[in-house]
Amino acid sequence: MKTALLFILLLILVPVAVSLQDMLPQLPPHQERILLLPLIFCFGVLALPLIPALFFALVVAVVQGLMFLQIQSGEVELGLVGPVVFFLSWAIVLQMASEATQGMRWELHALGSASVTLTLLGGEFLILCAKRGGFPVDSTVLLRIMIPSALALLIAPLLYLSLRSLVPLVPEAGLAKLKAAGYDL
Amino acid sequence: MKYLQMAALALLVAVAIALCFLGTGILGGFQSGFLELISPLTRSGHAVKSSIGNLGKDLMTLDQLELEYNRLLSENKQLRAENNGLRDLQQDNDHLRGILGYRERSSFRLIPAAVLGHDAEAWWSTIKINRGSKDGIAADMPVITDRGLVGKTTVVSGNMAEVVLVTDENCKVAAKVEGTKDQGICGGSRAPEGELQLAFLNKLADLQPGQKVYTAGVSGGVFPSGIALGTVKSFHARELDGEATLEPAADLGSLEEVFVVTGAK
Repeated sequence: MKTALLFILLLILVPVAVSLQDMLPQLPPHQERILLLPLIFCFGVLALPLIPALFFALVVAVVQGLMFLQIQSGEVELGLVGPVVFFLSWAIVLQMASEATQGMRWELHALGSASVTLTLLGGEFLILCAKRGGFPVDSTVLLRIMIPSALALLIAPLLYLSLRSLVPLVPEAGLAKLKAAGYDL
Repeated sequence: MKYLQMAALALLVAVAIALCFLGTGILGGFQSGFLELISPLTRSGHAVKSSIGNLGKDLMTLDQLELEYNRLLSENKQLRAENNGLRDLQQDNDHLRGILGYRERSSFRLIPAAVLGHDAEAWWSTIKINRGSKDGIAADMPVITDRGLVGKTTVVSGNMAEVVLVTDENCKVAAKVEGTKDQGICGGSRAPEGELQLAFLNKLADLQPGQKVYTAGVSGGVFPSGIALGTVKSFHARELDGEATLEPAADLGSLEEVFVVTGAK
């Protein structure tokens, strides 16, 4: 029941994060954006048990895929295959990392959020290079990848603390793991 | 319980595989539906953002009024506040008259739209507007301001549409340079920074900074002829052709109102 409630809350947070990140201003020097969806994704896959975490990852993948879906001259430039594989893979990696580090931790969430943002932006760029040709890597491209990832690392702990109010909804197993690891809940 | 988990996992894999093999038409429909789904959130967020912006403006006006009060040591603070309020209304009025005037002067059939926000995308340059298929908007319609070309519509839902900006690498526009016979293809870059590249020009073209560039309006294309695209900033000859860097005519960084071109008058 608690897992279901947490899952529903996370599902509500996904479109909220999408709308909010579109409204946040662009940052200097090259109009970099703050991405909130990877942060919500990381929190979700760390807080939920494996199967619901995978379903949540699938939802995030579809949302991310539809956001970035570009249909040019009747052809899809980036479909849903990339996001589905990407988010399911990261969900499994983060679940394994969570197991290895004895449950949910803010450090894991922060590192996971930054890594997901970094690989998401880098992966999209590489796929676009493969599709459109050329490999125009310059400081603008690197900053477009690095700054949102660094911001994810900085913002993640704040978001984690805010979402910790959901902790009573985190499944018992996760709490037991945290207690066993000596965390003060 | 284990069987239930296995069944859930099988369902997940089946759904994931099905999603990966969706056709273009279905994906487009899904995207349009998704846009419709987040439309209320985006509109509410835009309204809140506008309110916050206006609050900032009001605070500034109050600050200015306070400075005025200190400088003049006068007791007519109330009258000055009223005057400031009227001035704001006058500016709004002038702005709206300008927009209305452009709409009436234009040789195109235009639908005015408000910009709801710039999409948080690193490699694409897109915005969302508050008009959709219910207002007569369809995909691949040019979007302009009174200063020049903004882009074209891509995904359209009932109440909202996504516009790909001219600074996006995917938005290619046939262009001609004012006062010359030079023509080229104008587009943005993979990591759009606000400039346009006009490629496939004659490498011997004699383009000077400040020359204006307009849409060429090729037959069967999306963009009609004669819409301002930008101004030449620099030109350099490459091995096979010439390329110019343009400053976009429309201020794409601070778009608030745009017009969707639905046809000729």
